[in-house]
Amino acid sequence: MEALELYTADVQDDVWTEELKLNLGPQHPSTHGVLRVELKMDGEIITAARSDIGYLHRCAEKIGENVSYLQFTPYTDRMDYLAACNNELAWSLAVEKLLGVEAPERAQWLRVIACELNRIASHLIAFGTYGIDMGANTPFFYAFREREAIMALLERPAGSRMLYNYVRPGGVAHDIDERWLPDVLAFCDEFERRWAEYNQILSTNKIFIARTANVGVLPREMALAWGCTGPVLRGSGVRWDLRRDVPYLWPYGEVEFDVPVGEGTHGTLGDCWDRYWVRMREMIESVRIIRQACARVPSGDFMDKAMARAYKTPVKPPKGEAYMRCENPRGELGFYLVSEGGASPIRCRARGPSFCNLSVLEALLPGCMIADGVAIIGSLDIVLGEVDR
Amino acid sequence: MKEAELHARLAASGLTGIGALDTSARDPFVTVEAGALVAALTFLRDDPECRMEMLHNVTAVERADAMEVVYHVCSLARHHTLTVKVRLPRPAGGTHDTWIPEVPSVAGVWAAADWHEREQWDLLGVRFTGHPDLRRILLPAEWIGHPLRKDYVYPGEHGGIPLELDAVPLYERAPGSPPPPARPARAAGTPLEQPPAPFSTRPLAAGGKTCEPGQGGGERGGAH
Amino acid sequence: MQALIDFFAAPPFGLQGALALSAAYAVCIGSLLGFITVYAMFAIWMERKVAAHMQVRFGPMETGGWHGWAQSLADAVKLLFKEDLIPAQANKVLFWIAPAVVFCGVFAGFVAIPFAVGVQIADVDLGVFFIIAVAAVEVVGVIMAGWASNSKYSLFGAVREAAQVVSYEVPAAVALLVPILVVGSLRLGDFNAWQEEHGWLVLRNPFLPVAALIFFIASLAGCKRAPFDLPEAESELVSGFHTEYSGMRFSFFFLEEYASMFVSSLLVATLFFGGWTLPFVDVSAAPAPVGVVVLLAKTFFFIFVQMWLRWTLPRLRVDQMMAMGWKYLLPWALLCVVGTAAFEAWGWGWLPLSGG
Repeated sequence: MEALELYTADVQDDVWTEELKLNLGPQHPSTHGVLRVELKMDGEIITAARSDIGYLHRCAEKIGENVSYLQFTPYTDRMDYLAACNNELAWSLAVEKLLGVEAPERAQWLRVIACELNRIASHLIAFGTYGIDMGANTPFFYAFREREAIMALLERPAGSRMLYNYVRPGGVAHDIDERWLPDVLAFCDEFERRWAEYNQILSTNKIFIARTANVGVLPREMALAWGCTGPVLRGSGVRWDLRRDVPYLWPYGEVEFDVPVGEGTHGTLGDCWDRYWVRMREMIESVRIIRQACARVPSGDFMDKAMARAYKTPVKPPKGEAYMRCENPRGELGFYLVSEGGASPIRCRARGPSFCNLSVLEALLPGCMIADGVAIIGSLDIVLGEVDR
Repeated sequence: MKEAELHARLAASGLTGIGALDTSARDPFVTVEAGALVAALTFLRDDPECRMEMLHNVTAVERADAMEVVYHVCSLARHHTLTVKVRLPRPAGGTHDTWIPEVPSVAGVWAAADWHEREQWDLLGVRFTGHPDLRRILLPAEWIGHPLRKDYVYPGEHGGIPLELDAVPLYERAPGSPPPPARPARAAGTPLEQPPAPFSTRPLAAGGKTCEPGQGGGERGGAH
Repeated sequence: MQALIDFFAAPPFGLQGALALSAAYAVCIGSLLGFITVYAMFAIWMERKVAAHMQVRFGPMETGGWHGWAQSLADAVKLLFKEDLIPAQANKVLFWIAPAVVFCGVFAGFVAIPFAVGVQIADVDLGVFFIIAVAAVEVVGVIMAGWASNSKYSLFGAVREAAQVVSYEVPAAVALLVPILVVGSLRLGDFNAWQEEHGWLVLRNPFLPVAALIFFIASLAGCKRAPFDLPEAESELVSGFHTEYSGMRFSFFFLEEYASMFVSSLLVATLFFGGWTLPFVDVSAAPAPVGVVVLLAKTFFFIFVQMWLRWTLPRLRVDQMMAMGWKYLLPWALLCVVGTAAFEAWGWGWLPLSGG
C-alpha cells in the first residue's frame, strides 16, 4: 500500500480547487467502533483513504501468554463482542485440539444452537446499524426487539446477556433447563415472521437499493487476495463456508443448510447490497440449523469430565501447536496456540476476520462518495474489538 | 490433498531451500529458508494442484533460540491447507533491543499479508523486507519497543501518566519528582496464580482499612 | 388585523395612527411567536411519540405525567440554561447571526398565512409568492452556520444544503403554479374562497394530485427532512451544519425546521386540500375558530405524514437527490403546468370534454 502522496494543485480552466482532508475520526456515528479513516476528498468524492486502527487494542495476545488456557475464555468473548459464543468456540476447539480431547455429544449440539443463535443476534446488529448508516432509523429497533429475545434465551444457560463465557474448552459451562429447547423453537417461529417484515422495510426499499447497489464492488479475486472471509467473501460469489466445507463441529455435517452467496441481484456482483443480502439469508439458514439441532440434542454430559476437573488445577498441555479456524458471523476466526508445556501458551494469536475484512477498505474507498464510504464500511460489518484485540 | 502430498509437490517444484515436513505436530508444517519463502509461497499460490488462493494468517513466534514466522495458507478450490514456517535463529546475546530478524515480505503474493506483517512488525519486531509500507498498525506511531517479545520491559509511564499498578498516583506526586522506575518483567509462561500486588502501597490514614481480597470489605480509609 | 387596529384606536386605549398600528402589530407578532413556540414544542413531542410508536417503544412517558407531555417544555428550559459554546476559531459574527437569519426567514412567511376568514396578520396580495421567497432566506443562514463553525463536517452540510434547498425550490415553485393557474390569484385567502365554491383543488383534474405530490416532496427537501436530510445527515456528518451549535442557538435551528414543516404543510392544505373548507359543511358561516381548527387539523395531518416518512425511509445520496429534483420532479411539474393550462383553457375536468 503506497503512502499517501502529497497533493499538488490541480488547475483546470483557471479554477484552482483545493483538496480537502477529512478525518472520519475515531468518534463517528458510522465507523462501527473506534476506527479512524483519513480521507482526501475532492468535494464529495474520496480520492485516497488510509485507515488507522488500534484505538481498541487491549493486549489480548499478551494477556493470553500470562493467564491459563481456561482463564482466557472470557477474553475471547471481548474480541468480537457481538458474536461471543463463536469466539469462545474457536478458542475452545483450539485448546481441545492441543489437549487431544473432544467435547461430549450433548455439549456439541448445545454449542451449535448457542453459536447459531449468536450468529442471528450478530447479523441483526449488522442489519439494524446498516439501516441507521443509510438513514433509516426504524429497523434498528425491530432488530433489537429480536435480539432482546435471543439475549434472554442465552441468559438462561449462560448467566450473561452478551459476553456469555458459555462455550468452554471441554464443553459448555452449564446445562439448559427443560423449557429451553421449546422456547428456542418458539423464537424461531417468531423470527421467521419478523424476517419477512425486515425485507419489506429495508431490503426491497428503492432508496436503500439505490444507496447500496453497485457501491463498493469487491471482485472475487480481490476478496481472496485480501483474505476476506465470511459474508464479505460470499457476497462476491464465492460459495465457501467452513461449517459446510470443513465442519469444525461434527454436528454441522449432520444438519442441512444452504450457503447463500451474492448473485448481483440489484447491481454488480459483490456490491454492498449482495453482502447485506447474504447476511439476511444467513439468518434464515441459522434458523434452519437451530430447528434441526433442537430435535437432535441428546441427553448426557455437557462438559468433558476430565476437563471439568481441569478448572480446579490449571491444565498443562504437552509441547506443540494448534491452529483452529471457525466460521464466525464476520468471517473466519483463527486461533494459533503454541504450547511449551506450561500453564499458559507462549503464543496466543487471534486471526480476527474483521482485521482482514477491514484491510480491503483502503482499496475500496477511492473513487466513491463519502455517503458510499459509509455504506461500504457498514457492509464489511466490522467490530473493532476484533480488529484491534 | 494432504500435507504430505503438498509437501511432495513443493519439494518437486525445483525450488531450493524447501525443508522437511514435520509430521509430529498436530498441523504438519513445512520449514523453508527465508530466501526461498517468496518463491515457495508463489508456487503454492499458482500451482494448479495446490491453488492456495488465500493467506489465512501470518504469525511470528518468539522461541528461546529463534524467531519463527508461521504462514497458514489455504485453498478454497481444493479444500486443503498448509502451514509454512521460517526459522530465524537468534544470534548470541540477541535481545529485545539488539535483534530485529528479517524475512522477505509476501505482500506481493497475497495483499492480505500487508496488514498481518505490519502487526507482527509492530508487536514482535520482525522486519519484512520489501513490504510497501511497514509501520506500526495497532500501537501509536511513537511507541518504543515490541511488546510481545518475552524480554519486553513495560515502560514506567506514557505521556506523563504512570503505568505501574503500584506507582504513586499522579495527583499525589510531588511536582518535579522523577517518574517511578520500570518494573522488571515477569518470567514468561507463569500464569497469575497468586493474587496481584496491592493496588496502592501508599500509607492510609490512621484507622483506615484496605479492601484486599480475602480481608473482607473495609470502610473507606481517610486517605481516600 | 383591521379589527385589532380599531380595538386599539377606540377607548380605553385611545391610540392614534401609527401608535395603534404598532400596538396591533406588536400583539400580532407576539401571539404569532407564542403560537410558533408552543406549536414547535408540541410538534417535537409529537415527533418523538410518532417515532417511538413506529419503533415499538413508547417515547416520553415520565415528564409531566401523562405520556410525557411536558418533555418539550423541559427540553426548552434545559436548552436555555446550557452553556453558550462558540468554537475558538469560529467566525463569531456569522456564528451569532446565522440562527437568527434562519429563523427570521421562516417566521416572516407566517405573517401572510390566513388561519381563517379575517384571521391573518397581513393580507398580502402576493401571498404564496411572498412566502416562498421569504422562506428562501434560510438558505443563507444555513450556509453562514456551516461556514462560521470552522469545521469540515459543518462545511459539508452547508454546501449540501445550498445545493439541495436551492435546487428543490424550482420544482416546488413550478408545482405551485398549477393551483395558481386554476384560481388565478396569488392571495391565499382567494384559494380558500375558490375552493369553497368549486370544491377541493386536488380533485379538479388529473394533474393537480401530481402537482400536490411534487410540491409535497419538494417541500420535504426544502425542510431538510428525511429522505432529504443530507445537510444534517447524522450518520455521515455527525450533525451537519449545526454540529457546533448547542443550547439556544441550536434550538433556533430546530424551531426553524418545525416551523418550515408547518408552513409547507399549511401550503399543501390551503392550496390543494381546501384550506379551512370542508366538502359538505359551510365553514365560513361558522365562527372563525372552526375554520382555524379545520385548517390546523389538515396541517397536522400532513405534518404527521412528514414524520411518518422520516422514520420509514433511508436517506438519498447527494447525486441521487439532485438527479431526483432536476431529472424527475421538474419535468413532471412542468408537464402538470402545461397540462393544467390546456385543461383549463378547454374547460376539461378529469376526463376530456367533461365539465370542470
